[in-house]
Amino acid sequence: MNSKQAKQILVDNLWFNNPIFIQILGICSTLAVTNLLSNTVIMTLGVTFATAFSSWTVSLLKNLIPRRVRMIVQVLIMSFYVIILDILLKAYLPEISKSLGPYVGLIITNCILMGRAEGFAQGNPPAAAFWDGLTSGLGYMWVLLTVAFFREFLGFGTLMGYPVAPKGFVPWTIMVMAPSAFFMVGTLLWISKNIMAAREKAKGGKA
Amino acid sequence: MTPNIAPLTLFFASIFTSNILLANFLGMCSFISISKDLKSANGLGLAVTVVLTLTNAVNWVVLRYVLIPLDLLYLRFIVFIIVIAAVVQMLEMIIDRVSPPLYMALGIFLPLITVNCAILGAALFMEIRKYDFVQSVVFGLGSGLGWWLAIISLAAIRKKVDKAPVPAGLKGPGITLITIGFMAMAFIGFSGMLPVQ
Amino acid sequence: MNRDSVFYTIIFTFIVTFAFVLPLTLAEQGTSEMVAKNTENARRKAVLTAMDIPFTGDAEAASLFQGVTAREKDGEVLYTYDKGGKTVAAKEFFGMGLWGTINGILAVNGDVTSTVGLQIIGHNETPGLGGRIDDASFKNQFRGEALKDGKLKIRSGAEAGGGPVDPGDGVVDGITGATRTTQAMEVIVNREIGDIKKLLGASR
Repeated sequence: MNSKQAKQILVDNLWFNNPIFIQILGICSTLAVTNLLSNTVIMTLGVTFATAFSSWTVSLLKNLIPRRVRMIVQVLIMSFYVIILDILLKAYLPEISKSLGPYVGLIITNCILMGRAEGFAQGNPPAAAFWDGLTSGLGYMWVLLTVAFFREFLGFGTLMGYPVAPKGFVPWTIMVMAPSAFFMVGTLLWISKNIMAAREKAKGGKA
Repeated sequence: MTPNIAPLTLFFASIFTSNILLANFLGMCSFISISKDLKSANGLGLAVTVVLTLTNAVNWVVLRYVLIPLDLLYLRFIVFIIVIAAVVQMLEMIIDRVSPPLYMALGIFLPLITVNCAILGAALFMEIRKYDFVQSVVFGLGSGLGWWLAIISLAAIRKKVDKAPVPAGLKGPGITLITIGFMAMAFIGFSGMLPVQ
Repeated sequence: MNRDSVFYTIIFTFIVTFAFVLPLTLAEQGTSEMVAKNTENARRKAVLTAMDIPFTGDAEAASLFQGVTAREKDGEVLYTYDKGGKTVAAKEFFGMGLWGTINGILAVNGDVTSTVGLQIIGHNETPGLGGRIDDASFKNQFRGEALKDGKLKIRSGAEAGGGPVDPGDGVVDGITGATRTTQAMEVIVNREIGDIKKLLGASR
């Protein structure tokens, strides 16, 4: 993978093929975790770590895996990385593990991990697969952090737990409950598609 | 510690008042993408229901007779998801043989049933709430049917919405997400009506 | 070797499963002692905090905990402490929340007429909503709240937050937007009060 391909993968996973609003993957965790910025940070770091390493491992083993057990092996690899992360956190960083604990299941079943393993790692060399996993995780991260920023601010008046809203601000409790995440992601999708369409038009106009 | 809930109550609760998709928000990804076509939504709903019922049954047996006695609870994520992956792999081969058009229509979302958080979620709920065998199977079946009901409802709504003048940027997944948001808000009203634990 | 043959498939699956599960088992066994220590430490600190016994740092918590008597009966442990002549009793609870088990410590005074404190050790509730049972603002309501007929009421639903603050009325605020978790906590707290009363009575 040369640097031009690397850059293309990065740009695709961050924007043009963003896991959340273009591929529509990883939605469940988006709803569960984005009402607090701190949980979002931990969750997205976990997903990025797991996606990068499992894509890398799947790519390393892709020529050895029999067709019939392809999914089982992929799932085994993905769970391995998530669980080992959970075990190590429980022992060495118990406070963080408390926040991550309930989400371990959500990371294992995060469609982004399986989606990248099937869609990229199965047909690309290990280094590229690692990079693709890492950048997909980053694409996921920035969308979730944006949603979480608005949800925590409007729903609690805080950011990362610190109160930042002006006095007299009445929190929008609906922002803390799941339906608001749908509205936020939908809105984000709308805005980014409009930006993409505008850029296409500008390019088309020039040519 | 097994909760004292009649299987029939649990069945109705898991379909309607504690719908695993609209109340617990599990199983979203394929829900959003496949609901654009009623036929594939139906196919996926059926597949998810079959997988949920079978895997909950098998997972309960494994939990009760292997994981707990051997003190291997920390491996439950891996074991549950491998059982799910095996069932889905078999289902994939069956669908490919029985209905190739459905296989094509579902595309990547067939292997994605494996990581459908609703399925692992149902297994984990069964473990946390300490259901017995009948409750586990009924809960799996009910959750699957509830998921199927939700995806068909969404597909039907989308058929109408797609004909409406939706702004270009919102077409497709955008307006779908907003629609689901409203469906979810409606279902919040049902929460807790029937006991599930 | 043909990678699609049945033989290869079976061998490969076994090897891969072994290769991935072994490190997990090793990691789990290797860290289990550390995890057990962390859990014990967390429980000690939770009991002390619920009983309103101040401490700084794990070492002081461990030494202060020596002064706490733990009596076991029918698998339930009752912690008692003599605070300047007055008894404080506490018990660990595992209750059913909305998503999973809520684990914490409830402390009451010797004659079970008011609560001394509530600490949450672990829960699986919705972060930011039910998860706020771990917030200081919720837990502090249990410092010296009188019980009415041996029971405590936690406001839920529309009137959850912002009610009158009176430590003598036996009513505390629940969490807005987290009705199910609030109701679960009310059930758990009242059940534990009853259990502590029984355990205290049994040991007299």
